[in-house]
Amino acid sequence: MSNISNTATDLLGQSLTANEEQLLAAYRELKRLAAISDLPPCAARAVRKALACMWQAVNDLDLEFEQLYDLGV
Amino acid sequence: MADSPYWNPKNETMPREDLRRLQLLKLRRLCDWAYARTPFHRRRFDEAGFHPDQLKSLDDARRIPTMTRDDWVRSQSEKPLWGDLIATDPINAIRYHLTSGSTGRQPLRALDSTKDWEWISEMWCYGSWAFGVRPADIVYFAFGYGSFIGFWGAHYACEKIGALVVPGGAQSTERRLEQIIELEVTTIYSTPTYALRLWQEAVAMGIDLTKSKVNKVIVSGEPAGSIPAMKRQLEHGWGAKCGDTAGMTEIGTIFTYECAAQPGGTHIIEDNMFEEVMNPATGEPAKYGELGERIVTSFGRGFIPLIRYRSGDIVMRVPHSTCRCGRNSDIYDGGIRGRWDDMKLIRGTNVYPRAVESIIREHDSIDEFQIYVWRDENNIRDEITIRLELKPDRLADWEPIRERLGKDLAGAHEGLRFNLELMPQDSLPRYELKAKRLIDARPQAGGLTQ
Repeated sequence: MSNISNTATDLLGQSLTANEEQLLAAYRELKRLAAISDLPPCAARAVRKALACMWQAVNDLDLEFEQLYDLGV
Repeated sequence: MADSPYWNPKNETMPREDLRRLQLLKLRRLCDWAYARTPFHRRRFDEAGFHPDQLKSLDDARRIPTMTRDDWVRSQSEKPLWGDLIATDPINAIRYHLTSGSTGRQPLRALDSTKDWEWISEMWCYGSWAFGVRPADIVYFAFGYGSFIGFWGAHYACEKIGALVVPGGAQSTERRLEQIIELEVTTIYSTPTYALRLWQEAVAMGIDLTKSKVNKVIVSGEPAGSIPAMKRQLEHGWGAKCGDTAGMTEIGTIFTYECAAQPGGTHIIEDNMFEEVMNPATGEPAKYGELGERIVTSFGRGFIPLIRYRSGDIVMRVPHSTCRCGRNSDIYDGGIRGRWDDMKLIRGTNVYPRAVESIIREHDSIDEFQIYVWRDENNIRDEITIRLELKPDRLADWEPIRERLGKDLAGAHEGLRFNLELMPQDSLPRYELKAKRLIDARPQAGGLTQ
């Protein structure tokens, strides 16, 4: 389980659970990867597909709500 | 969590006050996005004197100008292909779809990205899970898989859920039925009309579907899915529960679904849509229990932001507590009850096709029908004729049906006389996608209407 401190909140201001913290961290990591311009095509598209899936999880759980089109997602 | 009755327990059961706070936050961000990125919305917001900063509560949503299908079509006609509606470069799209064109109007074109398609399928996950679709299910799509967006999202949703998906694409009805039996399918997705046709074909083939493994029939694409008599016929014929959903190409997916508790209506997916019901005559919000027009804002599709879109759908919203399932989302009682622009005026009486169908479906001897509106030879008097086909083994029912149906239709329409015409077997068209059972043959400037 996560060892991240439980200080962040969701969009409604409620504290994140440990699982939610991990999901949000994974989402942010995928966003970081999607911004890298020199990944090979196989990795670049895999990252975008994974990011789209993770966007859905953070949207469902009210952890983040934003558009990703500028990352090609 | 696999045994949860909710796909998203957090949002489907949160207090309504929190749900509304979430909607306001998403609405603000969507309006910010649309204002910054689409010339269409920036222009319309400016013309209306609206800025996203003015959204302090959901009541302020009424400051946002509504958009219509005509706005969408005009934009794409003036600047083909996509108009000034899109918020990002078309290179970010992975899929193109368009409306079915079943109304005979110019189709709408829509683009969606990878993220959008995750969301499109997710909305179907809400509805499919709520009606009982689970990883162990074997799901059959009796659907043609074309440019019409139809059940594409449901297909991906069932894969996401982990069910075994059988794409029953370009095949005959007979072959589809053989596959349904052979593969021990448990769940069918189709239009209500086609689910009925599958059953009728099965009877002709000597297949008793009540003895098959099918236990769920999930329908979409036509208002008929929530007509009680239609649902009864489908549940009787398939020996399965029948659940309604409704969606639209403008959103890309469904916005409302029937849960397993079958409350006599469909839940709105409120954490992903902001749905208003408006009295079309006054422009004022309709109260719970009043008929009105659906106005939809989609939080999921950002490629072409859909904000306060006048759907034309007739709905009656009732509180979430009407259903015992525990979801926080309000319900459209009776599902989508038709469309305001479907209404036909016949000798001063309003006639809605779905209302006519509701009465016709009470007679299970009727196999197929068509509503034919015409004008007499002097071009003075409007007439309405219901063309009917009876099931082959029920032809003897014609006289009692003619008497009873004529009275029922007149009784529901201020005494308006409906002509009833018995048609030869298989003379009326059958449909796989959206049925088109209304023909208005009255002389008009543009020729025949729908």
